[in-house]
Amino acid sequence: MGKKYENVFELLIETTVYKKKPGRNRHDPTQRFVNPAPSKRKEPLTYDISRRPSNSVEEEPKRNKNKLVSLPSLQAIKQEASQFKMLTVSVKWQKKVFEGIEIDVSLPPYVFKAQLYDLTGVPPERQKIMVKGGLLKDDADWSSIGVKDGQKLMMMGTADEIVKAPEKAIVFAEDLPEEEQATNLNKLPRLVAVLQYTSRHTLSVCSGYSAGLVNLGNTCYMNSTVQCLKSVPELKSALSNYSLAGRSNDVDQTSHMLTVATRELFGDLDRSVNAVSPTQFWMVLRKKFPQFSQLQNGMHMQQDAEECWTQLLYTLSQSLKAPTSSEDSDAVKALFGVNLRSRVHCQESGEESSETESVYSLKCHISHEVNHLHEGLKHGLKGELEKTSPALGRTAVYLKESLIDSLPRYLTVQFVRFFWKRETNQKAKILRKVDYPLELDIYDLCSEELRKKLEAPRQKLRDEEGKKLGLQTKSSSKDGDVKMTDAEAPSNESGESSTAAQQEGTVSKTPFTWMIVCASSSEKGTHMTGIYDLVSVLTHKGRSADSGHYVAWVKQESGKWIQYDDSYPSVQREEDITKLSGGGDWHMAYIIMYKARFVSM
Amino acid sequence: MAPGPDPNSVGDGAKRDEATIKVPSKDPKKKDDKKEEDLSEEDLQLKQNLELYVERVQDPNPELQKAALESMRQEIRASTSSMTSVPKPLKFLRPHYGTLKEFHKNMAESDLKKLLADILSVLALTMSAEGQRESLGYRLTGSEGDIGSWGHEYVRNLAGEIAEEYTVRQGEEASIEDLMDLVQQIVAFHMKHNAETEAVDLLMDVEDLDLLLEHVDRTNFRRTCNYLTSAAKYLPGPDDMLVLDIAYMIYIKFEEYPNALQIALFLDNMQYVKQVFTSCTDLLRKKQFCYMISRHGITFELDPEMVENDVDREMLQDIVNNTKLSEGYLTLARDIEVMEAKTPEDIYKAHLLDGRASSGPSADSARQNLAATFVNAFVNAGFGQDKLMTVPSDSTSGSAGNWLFKNKEHGKTSAAASLGMILLWDVDAGLTHLDKYFHSNDNPIIAGALLGVGIVNCGIKNDCDPALALLGEYIDKEDSSVRIGAIMGLGIAYAGSQNDQIRSSLSPILNDAKAPLDVIAFAALSLGMIYVGSCNEEVAQSIIFALMDRSEAELGEALTRFLPLGLGLLYLGKQESVEATAEVSKTFNEKIRKYCDMTLLSCAYAGTGNVLKVQDLLAQCGEHLEKGDIHQGPAVLGLAMVAMSEELGLDMAIRSLERVLQYGEQNVRRAVPLALGLLCKSNPKVTVMDTLSRLSHDTDSEVAMSAIVSLGLIGAGTNNARIAGMLRNLSSYYYKDASLLFCVRIAQGLVHMGKGLLTLSPFHSERLLLSPTALAGIVTLLHACLDMKSIILGKYHYVLYFLVLAMQPRMMLTVDENLKPISVPVRVGQAVDVVGQAGRPKTITGFQTHSTPVLLAAGERAELATDKYIPLSPILEGFIILKENPDYREE
Repeated sequence: MGKKYENVFELLIETTVYKKKPGRNRHDPTQRFVNPAPSKRKEPLTYDISRRPSNSVEEEPKRNKNKLVSLPSLQAIKQEASQFKMLTVSVKWQKKVFEGIEIDVSLPPYVFKAQLYDLTGVPPERQKIMVKGGLLKDDADWSSIGVKDGQKLMMMGTADEIVKAPEKAIVFAEDLPEEEQATNLNKLPRLVAVLQYTSRHTLSVCSGYSAGLVNLGNTCYMNSTVQCLKSVPELKSALSNYSLAGRSNDVDQTSHMLTVATRELFGDLDRSVNAVSPTQFWMVLRKKFPQFSQLQNGMHMQQDAEECWTQLLYTLSQSLKAPTSSEDSDAVKALFGVNLRSRVHCQESGEESSETESVYSLKCHISHEVNHLHEGLKHGLKGELEKTSPALGRTAVYLKESLIDSLPRYLTVQFVRFFWKRETNQKAKILRKVDYPLELDIYDLCSEELRKKLEAPRQKLRDEEGKKLGLQTKSSSKDGDVKMTDAEAPSNESGESSTAAQQEGTVSKTPFTWMIVCASSSEKGTHMTGIYDLVSVLTHKGRSADSGHYVAWVKQESGKWIQYDDSYPSVQREEDITKLSGGGDWHMAYIIMYKARFVSM
Repeated sequence: MAPGPDPNSVGDGAKRDEATIKVPSKDPKKKDDKKEEDLSEEDLQLKQNLELYVERVQDPNPELQKAALESMRQEIRASTSSMTSVPKPLKFLRPHYGTLKEFHKNMAESDLKKLLADILSVLALTMSAEGQRESLGYRLTGSEGDIGSWGHEYVRNLAGEIAEEYTVRQGEEASIEDLMDLVQQIVAFHMKHNAETEAVDLLMDVEDLDLLLEHVDRTNFRRTCNYLTSAAKYLPGPDDMLVLDIAYMIYIKFEEYPNALQIALFLDNMQYVKQVFTSCTDLLRKKQFCYMISRHGITFELDPEMVENDVDREMLQDIVNNTKLSEGYLTLARDIEVMEAKTPEDIYKAHLLDGRASSGPSADSARQNLAATFVNAFVNAGFGQDKLMTVPSDSTSGSAGNWLFKNKEHGKTSAAASLGMILLWDVDAGLTHLDKYFHSNDNPIIAGALLGVGIVNCGIKNDCDPALALLGEYIDKEDSSVRIGAIMGLGIAYAGSQNDQIRSSLSPILNDAKAPLDVIAFAALSLGMIYVGSCNEEVAQSIIFALMDRSEAELGEALTRFLPLGLGLLYLGKQESVEATAEVSKTFNEKIRKYCDMTLLSCAYAGTGNVLKVQDLLAQCGEHLEKGDIHQGPAVLGLAMVAMSEELGLDMAIRSLERVLQYGEQNVRRAVPLALGLLCKSNPKVTVMDTLSRLSHDTDSEVAMSAIVSLGLIGAGTNNARIAGMLRNLSSYYYKDASLLFCVRIAQGLVHMGKGLLTLSPFHSERLLLSPTALAGIVTLLHACLDMKSIILGKYHYVLYFLVLAMQPRMMLTVDENLKPISVPVRVGQAVDVVGQAGRPKTITGFQTHSTPVLLAAGERAELATDKYIPLSPILEGFIILKENPDYREE
């Protein structure tokens, strides 16, 4: 009920407005509407439409009734309207309905359109008003159109921008000259193929990593080995320095050929965009090491990547030995060699001896207790061996404990996943999960002397990292009171404190002069720290040693990890690299290589 | 004696003997012999009694005779109640049939003779030879009385004999009065005993269905009418109309108005429709009627006689005018959560194809963009939003107005018109969106805008007639593309309206010597649409003159086929009314004569299931023509058009088409896939799908094209995954052939039409009613597809928009008494044919329960799963008004 009264009240106001200024408003509508400036818009329209709230639209019929019944004054107005031949119509525009619009029949429809312009903002020339199957013309006569009082009209029109053709005409494939059409068609599938290729393997040219290697038939062990070794720039430059002239006499012909083939292959890989076929290298390798030519059902057999790795390195170390034949100048050894000092101790006799040896890789033995690389390494450095005891005069069990005496630039770790199962006469694989870190600290595997040597550089490294950390916190928070507790921590296992993200840039990467880089010559500028960063992983996937698939995962200088699956290189995320630790059917690390972190003093 | 003793019923001796010999051979006479000894005591007693009665009947003493007859009658009556086997008394009396007959013949006229005739009539049930109708004969000479007391089997037999007798007497023009008395009795008996079908059968045989009206009652009228309506499909000539008339009258009698309206619409009898409105007083029910009329797609004006109150009438007229269709459809879309606009790429799903994908980053192909325009239009039809055309145009570099310009020349027409499709049924928004294209200075764009206005208004009527107001101005413009846009728009917007104003402006074009052929063709087509099924003489005249005026060369043009088609549409489903025009068409130039003939025939009998016409058309298809005659195409389509109405005929037509495919000439083969598409629109039958899939790889590219388009038609609006998969594979198979690829794209668009909410089927209301405008739209497209290369792949691709006439939401939307949507649980399942079945069989099977609004697939039916509401129409399709059930008790 309340609403009804409200309406009545509203009407009363309306009528008063009506009465106040009937003359000005109603006898000269042209004045109001012909030139409707926006500022003018509100004022003259107050009495009819614009001030009516939209929600009252539905009430309209009721209101009309009210008008007739209870408000005689309105009736009078209606009569007045008929005197001036006023028609009241409603106009539907878009989803809105404008009710009670009055038409002065004596004036041309253009005036009516101007009225509508006020309401809708659509310029009269863009208005299309539909009256019973026809359009309202600007100069038509109302009487001939036959619009009735209370009729519904419909208006179409917008103030939208008129569509224009784009300035640059679109070229259609059909319009191209015939040859181009043909190429367009032919290009299509190829382009798509390339795109698909890129989407999966991201084209090597664009992303700055080298090409893959074609699998020549079970040669994934070789491919992955080559990809891993190729990631050692020092080895590459050593190879590039190698020449026939520098060849020492004690290197045999096949080793020489293999060295050259390796050099060529590395070069090809850097130059090529598409996958390289390592045919030459493969032939030479087989010549040098006939065991790799074993056939099975007419196919070359799957081989052990570790064997390939070791043999190749050994050959290279032989041929890359400087003619001076001094130990230190053995490039390969300088890069990969690990000197171990072992204490051999016999518990029975109590005799003790020490020996040194040089190996190219550390072994990570996997037993039930081993869950982490560190444990495996420790395990690998301890061993029991039986040998004739001169004191006892019989074979006795000796305990051998080795410690690292000198550190390599690249530390290679082999997971001893394959072993010969005696009972079944089979090579078996240990699938156990062994975690390895992206950053390895082998301080506690080092001998006393080496540890001493490492103290100072490690301190320096910690300082640098601490500074970096400190600086960072300072820049982020103003108080600057943050203590560099990390740096001062005396713990030996401090390696974990620094995060991988910070290592870049802080560690000085000195320009390489490989001649002077040995653990022993560390006084000159750069120093080992005993901390290593993971650079490549060679994985094996499959249940046994003679089957499955080898893949190399190599970190690029840009910090990106690339998976080399034979001829397909693909980008990987760093966090996925540590997931190669075994324990399932996924790729699992077999040989991993760490790069030493240096610090300049 | 009964009047006019039948010569057959009292046959001569030889015949009778034959009969007596014959009957035992059918019956277990041998057993009888064997059983002679091992009859039970009771039976033996009975047998002896009966034999005694037979003796006594022949006794000269009338008293004794009468007693014997009475007892005999007693025995028989007592046993005929159950008819699982031949009743014992009849069995035992069988050997005496001959003697009794003989005796009866010689008896003097008396009551006793009548009594004996009664008994003989019953005995004749098993004894009478085929075609003798002895049972009836004795019945007519017998005493009048309750025939029902002799048992159901007897009555049935009698009914059968009456039918035979009736035809014989019709031949001899003999009186049938005595028969009709019996018929009265029999019908009454049947109607009382749940045997409505038999009563109807008998009355149809004696051609006096009116009798039915006296005997139906509230309990059996529904089953009776059900049987009548479904029988009508199989009746020839005018009989079917008669049967439906009766059904209509029965429905009206029992105030079952929705069904009555349905039949009125089927009969296309506006007088009946009006009667429904005037007989019903409930406003709410009238609203439901309006919804039914609006779904049928006819133009219907309510007058004060039908609805007195002005305000009410206006509201009802709004419903008839379909103004709320868009709203309902969007309600459905929101409920099913498919409002999100889809791009053509979402439909192509190229990522699911490996190897050569079909789109690459090469130069824009106008063909492919045009395909994308259509796909976009079909998929987003009616949703009011898409991602190509309606995106806000403020970003000048964006795709906004620019998609339009990614189409070439006439392609822009289709692109602009696609807006109409996207905003389908929403006139206000549609006009707003289209407005700016009217001010373009590019003729194809204006043409598209005009066509778009027509499409938006398809099936919607508005007081202001915006389509006529806007398009009328452009009919006589200079540019022919603009003219075609306007003409076609009018045809679509006013299909079935029989609007005189449009006729007066379009007719002159037809006979304008200067008008180009394409304008004339589209004008003829539009007139055909607007006057579809009206048999309008004047329009027919205009088109005929236009056809006669065409030169030899013009008659060879592909577009000329629209002239005969326009003519045919005038007679859509009107059967014999076409004959005069068909006669005239024989005088046409021979190039078009046969084409015209076939088109007229197929249109006139469309949806009638007339077997004779199917045979005529099949004969045409079987001919092996030397020259490139084109009339076989419409003949094949006609086959489908005539046979499409009911399931049996449809299956037969599919089988015949298989044969045509194997033995027909190439031009026949090209039309077969289209005919299959027409038969199974939006109803992907697996067998048809397989056939079309096979044909889509045909060596003849035109066969392949029609097969591909037909795959789209049978899957239209179903989102059928199997068809979608087929089309995807085809898109990679034909990636090099632009024309075939275009067809594949169109088909893909059709399958996902309205994101699966629409149907193209012109049938509705449980497949009873055939919407003439919908059929006209589809038939037009199919005729255009007969010459794919020059029409759809040429510059008249916008004929694809004729499909809009057939597009309807395949929904069931329940609304309350204020027409606001409400959600109620419904069961949706496969419809079961329950006609003539005993008891109260389930009408759906394998149902699932959903809440409304729900989608109904082909062959599905819904029923309310709650007693809380009562639907106002028994046919739960489209908009259904629900009334609260006053008897409902919450549990």
